[in-house]
Amino acid sequence: MYRLKVLLIKEWRESLRNKMVLFGVIFLPLILVGTSVFMLTTGVAAEDPIAQVVLFNTSLMYFMLLPAIIPLAIAVYSIVGEKEQTTLEPLLATPISDTELFLGKALASVIPAVLVNWISFGLFLGVTRLLVGGFLLQTLTLPWLASIFGLTPLLALFSVGVTMIVSSRASDARAAYQFSSLAILPGLVPLIVYSSMKTIVDMRLILLEAALLVVAGAVVLYFAVKLFRREQILTRWK
Amino acid sequence: MITANGLTRRFGEITAVDGLDLHIERGEVFGFLGPNGAGKTTTIRMLSALIAPTSGSATIAEKTLGKDNRAIRERVGVLTETPGLYKRLSAWDNLLFFARLYRIDRPEQQAEKYLKMFELWDRRNGLTGTFSKGMRQKLALARALLHEPKILFLDEPTAGLDPEAAKMVRELIESLRSKERTIFLCTHNLDEADRLCDRIALFKSRLLTVGDPQSLRERMYGRRTVVHLANPNPGIEGQLDLPFITKTEWIDGRLLISLSDPETENPILVRKLVELGADVQFVSELKVSLEDLYLDLMEGNHVST
Repeated sequence: MYRLKVLLIKEWRESLRNKMVLFGVIFLPLILVGTSVFMLTTGVAAEDPIAQVVLFNTSLMYFMLLPAIIPLAIAVYSIVGEKEQTTLEPLLATPISDTELFLGKALASVIPAVLVNWISFGLFLGVTRLLVGGFLLQTLTLPWLASIFGLTPLLALFSVGVTMIVSSRASDARAAYQFSSLAILPGLVPLIVYSSMKTIVDMRLILLEAALLVVAGAVVLYFAVKLFRREQILTRWK
Repeated sequence: MITANGLTRRFGEITAVDGLDLHIERGEVFGFLGPNGAGKTTTIRMLSALIAPTSGSATIAEKTLGKDNRAIRERVGVLTETPGLYKRLSAWDNLLFFARLYRIDRPEQQAEKYLKMFELWDRRNGLTGTFSKGMRQKLALARALLHEPKILFLDEPTAGLDPEAAKMVRELIESLRSKERTIFLCTHNLDEADRLCDRIALFKSRLLTVGDPQSLRERMYGRRTVVHLANPNPGIEGQLDLPFITKTEWIDGRLLISLSDPETENPILVRKLVELGADVQFVSELKVSLEDLYLDLMEGNHVST
């Protein structure tokens, strides 16, 4: 656990000095929160409570997408960055275990993604309550809350797993980013469906989605773990 | 300190390392020489427990490869072909990260010790992305030494460095010589190997030969005396009926004579040449460069001994 902690701290320290990662982790959520609040408080919506409810519920979907997007930025640079800097071999030459390495890389992406998402969600609710009024928060249903607090960690894990697999074969961060985005898309389809059906959404749908994400995440993580073995990294990774 | 028996590594159809047998003593500086693609890096990776051999066995720092891989990695230091430093981190953060991965008792003290030893202390807070190649290589060497490994694997430590930086790294390696530390040095630089290594191995997927540089030369070429004559007289070598001479040949007007003990046999040889009417100008020992030896072995001009 000690080495895992050491690796996590190093990953975050590096991420904080990477502008691309910082943009994905900090600015993107801020932009989404800002845009959502702007839409709720300007134009036709500002004078129409029904339109505000619709827009508010649509905005909530951003907080389902963020945990899939944020870890992508961190994981891509965390893995492809190691390749670009040729730091993988010195790292693998230390006594760190394959499991510690895998968990370190995965958690370095998942933890900030989930935390930033929840903080952004809180910020969005706070600013909305302040500028629009508390009535919108009353429309927040249990399925939504269950999605944001229960499903998003699963989504982040799925996203990280996919990114790790893609990144192991990519030597260029941009290419890895693009391929990972495409590969994560199937995981987001249930969300889109969910969003379009949100008027009839209930906890059963959330549980079904959770089950799908658990299965998909397990499959993806199984392959990612297999790829994250010393021997594989040194001999098979591009 | 390092023993390998029949160590083999295959990648599909390709055999990168074929039945390597090695024994390296504690405190030895061992040069591992071979062309690109000879399997040197694969050998280092196997011996530092990074990849598993396809067959064969090895003991590194009294630990068994395969069984005690983590313990091996704790006991060896590896300088990879490229420095592999985190460019967005400072020299200090780079060393501290690795010191903590090795669970060193006082990581800060150890990082400070090596930054000072390698004259990087003043630049400790600088991002390594801004460092020169020589500085990066020094820092990578410091990283490899942080946990005071018993065995140090150096993969092309001076490759790509300018002559000044290369000299600096060579001096550092020289300063690391100790009875307690074994150094396994992979290099293309034959002069470097000649100067630094107690023994060298020539390797091209399999071990071609191993020994100290001087005895290798003698084993391959014997000892040869070059005689410069004022009036080269082809045919004179036929009259040299001395029993210790094993071979004679003319090269660029000089007489090349192979013998086994020049210290005692040269005076007899010179007397004989004078008796035969030769005007001897100079007599010297022919020094075969490690490069000649290397090229001959790689081109298959000599059979392994």
